[in-house]
Amino acid sequence: MTDARAAARAAAGRISDAERRGTAAFLAWSEGALLEQAEALVRSGATGDLAGEVVAVKDVIADRQFPTTCGSRILEGYHSPFEATVVRRLREAGALIAGKTNCDEFAMGSSTEHSAYGPSRNPVDPTRVPGGSSGGSAAAVASGAVDMALGTETGGSVRQPAAFCGIVGIKPTYGRVSRYGLVAFGSSLDQVAPFGKDVRSAARLLAAISGRDDLDATTLDRVPLSADALAGPDAAPRSLRGSVIGVPREYFPDGLAPGVRAACETAVATLRGLGAEIRDVSLPHSRYAIPTYYIVAPAEASSNLARYDGVRYGPRLADHPADVRELYRVTRGRGFGPEVRRRILLGTYVLSAGYYDAYYRQAQRARALIRRDFADAFASGVDALFTPTTPTTAFKFGEHLADPIAMYLSDVFVCTANLAGVPALSLPIGRSEGLPVGGQLIGAMEAEATIIRIALALEAATDARAEVR
Amino acid sequence: MAWETVVGLEVHLQLLTRSKMFCGCSAAYGDPPNRNVCPVCLGLPGALPTPNAHAVRLAVRAALALGCAVHPRSVFARKNYFYPDLPKGYQISQFEEPLATGGALDIVSPERGAVRVGITRLHIEEDAGKSFHDRVPGMTAVDFNRSGVPLIEIVSEPDLRSPAEARAYLTALKQVMRYVEVSDCNMEEGSLRVDANLSVHRPGTPFGTRTEVKNMNSFSGVERALTFEQGRQIAAIEAGGTIEQRTMTFHAPTGEVRPMRSKEQSHDYRYFPEPDLPPLVLLPSWVDEIRAELPELPEDKRQRFVRTWRISSTEAAVVTASAAVADHFEAFVKAVGAEQGKDVWNWEANDVLTHSPDGESIPASLSPARMAELFALVKDGTVSRQASRKVLAEMLAHEGSPAAIAARLGVVQERDEGQLAAWVTDALAAHPAEVARYRAGETKLMGFLVGQVMKRSGGKADPKAAGAALGKALAG
Amino acid sequence: MGVAKGADGAGGGEAARVTRQDIRRIAELAELAVDEATARELEGQLSRILDYVAQLQELPRDGAPEPDEPAVRLRRDEVRPDPLLVPPDAFAPALRQGLFLVPRLAELAGGASDE
Repeated sequence: MTDARAAARAAAGRISDAERRGTAAFLAWSEGALLEQAEALVRSGATGDLAGEVVAVKDVIADRQFPTTCGSRILEGYHSPFEATVVRRLREAGALIAGKTNCDEFAMGSSTEHSAYGPSRNPVDPTRVPGGSSGGSAAAVASGAVDMALGTETGGSVRQPAAFCGIVGIKPTYGRVSRYGLVAFGSSLDQVAPFGKDVRSAARLLAAISGRDDLDATTLDRVPLSADALAGPDAAPRSLRGSVIGVPREYFPDGLAPGVRAACETAVATLRGLGAEIRDVSLPHSRYAIPTYYIVAPAEASSNLARYDGVRYGPRLADHPADVRELYRVTRGRGFGPEVRRRILLGTYVLSAGYYDAYYRQAQRARALIRRDFADAFASGVDALFTPTTPTTAFKFGEHLADPIAMYLSDVFVCTANLAGVPALSLPIGRSEGLPVGGQLIGAMEAEATIIRIALALEAATDARAEVR
Repeated sequence: MAWETVVGLEVHLQLLTRSKMFCGCSAAYGDPPNRNVCPVCLGLPGALPTPNAHAVRLAVRAALALGCAVHPRSVFARKNYFYPDLPKGYQISQFEEPLATGGALDIVSPERGAVRVGITRLHIEEDAGKSFHDRVPGMTAVDFNRSGVPLIEIVSEPDLRSPAEARAYLTALKQVMRYVEVSDCNMEEGSLRVDANLSVHRPGTPFGTRTEVKNMNSFSGVERALTFEQGRQIAAIEAGGTIEQRTMTFHAPTGEVRPMRSKEQSHDYRYFPEPDLPPLVLLPSWVDEIRAELPELPEDKRQRFVRTWRISSTEAAVVTASAAVADHFEAFVKAVGAEQGKDVWNWEANDVLTHSPDGESIPASLSPARMAELFALVKDGTVSRQASRKVLAEMLAHEGSPAAIAARLGVVQERDEGQLAAWVTDALAAHPAEVARYRAGETKLMGFLVGQVMKRSGGKADPKAAGAALGKALAG
Repeated sequence: MGVAKGADGAGGGEAARVTRQDIRRIAELAELAVDEATARELEGQLSRILDYVAQLQELPRDGAPEPDEPAVRLRRDEVRPDPLLVPPDAFAPALRQGLFLVPRLAELAGGASDE
C-alpha cells in the first residue's frame, strides 16, 4: 500500500502545479483536507481496493467536505448535509478525495463553457475545451494531477471529455452504480462514470463504486464488479482471437474529421491484428439519437431542477420578493445560466399539455428502437462495437457557443449508449495534429468486463500519443 | 322546476405505516416541526425515492375492500407544480396506470335509500408538507414532517346526488377503511381530506359545469359547503348566469363557498412516468394473500347479524359501528344464546356503548364474558334490570364477578319464598281496604301492593316474584 | 448518422414556431423569470431545436418494443431514515421556530387557513 501521507502531499503538489498552469480543473480542493484524510486512513489501518489513491470528484456529486455547486450560482456555497453513496464507497475503499471538479452547469454541456465559475482548459492544448460536461475531472486526470476521477454521464459527458483529453472514461450499464447523492439531470440516463489515466485505473475505480444500493431503486440487483476480475494482473488478454467486433456504418459518416477516421482505421487494424474478427453492422435508428436525447433529457431535467427555488437550501437571489412566486422566479432566473434555462424551458414545453404525445412519448418510442438496435447487434454474435468517440478532436473555446445544436452534435456517437443503457468506454487511440483521438467500445447490457478486456488489449497494442497518418 | 345535483368526491387518506412512502423517516403525527426529515423528503439535491412495502400492502387492501380491480402492473408518475410545501417541485403519484380501478361502495342515502357509488380509481401518492400562512406575519411557514407520508387517493364516480349523500359516502368510506385498518380517517388530524366536485342540471339534460370545492374540515362541513354551493349554482343559473369551472374554497365561519383567488385555474401538471422508480409489479399470490386476510366488511357483517342474531338492519348498523364493537356484541350474544339476540342488542346499544369513549372501542373491563354473567343474573332474577346498570358502572373500575359486585352493592334481590311470603302477608294485613277493593275488581291496585312489598323488603324483593306471590295470596 | 442533417430540421411537417405567448406560458410553468431580450432569443432557439427534434415524427406511432423492466424493489416499513449530517438550521436560508419561512403567497391575500 502506498504511504497515504506521501501520496496526499504529492497529489497536493501536482494539483497546485496544474491549477497554476491554468487548467482550472477544480472548484474546491485543499491540501489540508487531503492530509487529514491520509492521517485518518493511516490511523484506521484500513486497506481497501483504492487505499491511498487520490480521486477527484465532479461537483454534481454530494460529498461532506466541500461545497456541491453543480457549476451553478443557484447552489453557490451549498454544503450537502448528506454524502453520495459513491463517495462513501470511495472512502470505504481507502481513497482520498482530492476535491470537487468543474463542470458545465448541472452537467448540461459539452465543454465546461457553461459552468458559472468559468471553463476548464484542455491540458493538451489550453486554447481548447477539455470537453464536457465532466471537463474538470477529465482535465484533472489528463494534467497528471490525479490518476482517477469521478465524472457523470447523461449524454456522453465522460467519454467525450476522455476522448478530447486523451484519457480513459467508462460509462457503466445504467443501474450499475448508485445515483444516490448524484444531483439529478436526466434521471433515466444519469450514471456516475469513472475516468482513469489508463484502462486499469478506470476499471479499478468502477469496481470500487459499483453495486446495488438500497437507497437507489434503479440499481441492478447483481454481484458487484470485481476489481481483480476487471483489472487484475491477468485481466489483459494477449490475443483477441474469438472476439467479434462490430463496426456500425452509421458511426462513420462523411462528415467525420479525417484525423479521427484515420485513427479509427488504425485501431480497427490493430484489433484485427490481435485476432479479432471485424464485422460490418448497422444500427439503423442511430440518427434519431440526438433528437431523442434532446427531448428526454431536458424533459426530465425540467422536473429535476424544479427543487431549486431558494426555499430550503442554497442562496436566495431575489432582493425583496413580494411573495413566494417572485422568490422562485428571480432566484431561478438569476441562478440558472442560459443553457440550463434553455433546457428547462424546452423540457417544460415537450411535457406540456398538447405536446406530450408528439414529443416525449414519441421520444420514448424512438429510444426503444435504439435500444433494440443494440440488442439485435449483440444477439447476432457481436461481442462489442467499435466506433469513434467524437466526430472531431477538441474544439476551441467559443467555437460552438453561438449555436446550441452544433454543441449538441458533438455528442452524436456517445449519446446512443446512454439512451440504450449499455456500457461504453473511450480510450485514446492516437493523435491528430497533436490532439487526442478517442476510440469507443460499446458492450451489451452488463458486459463491462467484455469491453474492458478488449480495451486492455487494444491499449497495450496502441501508442496513444502517435500522430495518425 | 326540479334541479338535480351531481357530486363526485376525491378523498385522500393517510396510510397507517411507521415510515414515509419514499424514505425511512417516521410518518408519526404531532412531532416537533421538521424533526422527521431527511434528504429524500426535503428534496435535497441528489436524493432518491424508495417505496414502502407496507404502504403498497395497505393500498391493495383498501382497493380490495372497495371491490376494485387491482392491476398487477402500475406506474408511478410525477405531478409537476410549484408550492412551498412541495419540496421537489413535483409530487410522486400515479397517473395513466394507477394501482386500482373500478370498485364501488354501498351507502344508505337519506333521500334514495340504498345506493351503490362507483369508485373510479384508487392510487398511491406521497403527501406534501404543511404550510402555515398566519404563524409569522407576511410569511408562509412550512413543516416538512408530513412531506412524503403515504396517501391513497380514492376518486368516486359522480354518482352522489345531494350534500347529505356526500356525507353518507364519507361515513361509509371511513367505516370500511377503519375496519380494514388502512387509515385512521381522522379529518382533525388530516388523515382524511376531501375535495368535492359539484354541478347541477335539469333532469334529462347533460351534466352541468362543475366546480371544485376544497378546504372542508369535517363531514358536517362537507355537507354545509355543498349545500351552499348547490344553492349558489342554482341561484346563478336561475338568474340567467352561467357556471364557471373554478376551484372554490369553503369558509367555515360563514358557511360560504368562495372562489379561490389563484390566477392559475387550470394546472398543467405535465405528468410523466417517474424515472427514479421502475414499475410496481404485484404477484397474484401476494394480492390473494391480502384478499384472504381481509376482515369481514361492515355491510357483510350487518347482513349476517340480521340473519344470525335476529335483529333488524338498523339495529345491526348500531352494533357494527366498528369491528371492535361488532366483535364484542357477537361474543356477548354467543355466550348468552342466539334466541336472546334482541335483548343482548338492547344491552349492547343502550348500556355497553354508553361507556365507550369513542363509539368504536369497548373498555376491556366490560368483556363479553362478564357481560354475559351480568345478563344471566338479570334473567334469573338475582338482580333487577335497573340495578344492573349500577353493577355495570361498578364493573368498569373493579375486578371480581358481577355477582360479587352486586352483593357488595347490596342490590341482590331476595328470592327466598318464605321471606317473600312473610312480606306479602305483612303488606296485605296492613292494607285491608286496598285488598278489598282489589278483590272487588280494581286490579290496577296490584302496583300499589307490589310497592308495599318492595318497601317492606327494602327494595330487595324481585318485583315480578312479589307480584306473583301477591296474586297467589289474593286469589286464595 | 445525422451529423450533416443538423440544424436544417427534418423533412415533413410544419416548422415548429414557438411564440412569445409560448415562452410566457412555459416560463410561468417553470417559475423562471425571463426578460424581453432573452424571450426573443429563446423564441428562435427553441423553434430551431424543436424543428430539429421533429424528425422523430418519421417514426411510427405504434409497434415500439416494450422495455424489459424489472419490478421496483420495495422497502421494509421501519423507521430508518438516512440521517442528515447537520440539522436544517445549518443549511436553511430562513428558519424560525423550527419552520422554513418563505414570503407569503400573494394569492392568499385576505385570510387563509393552514393547510
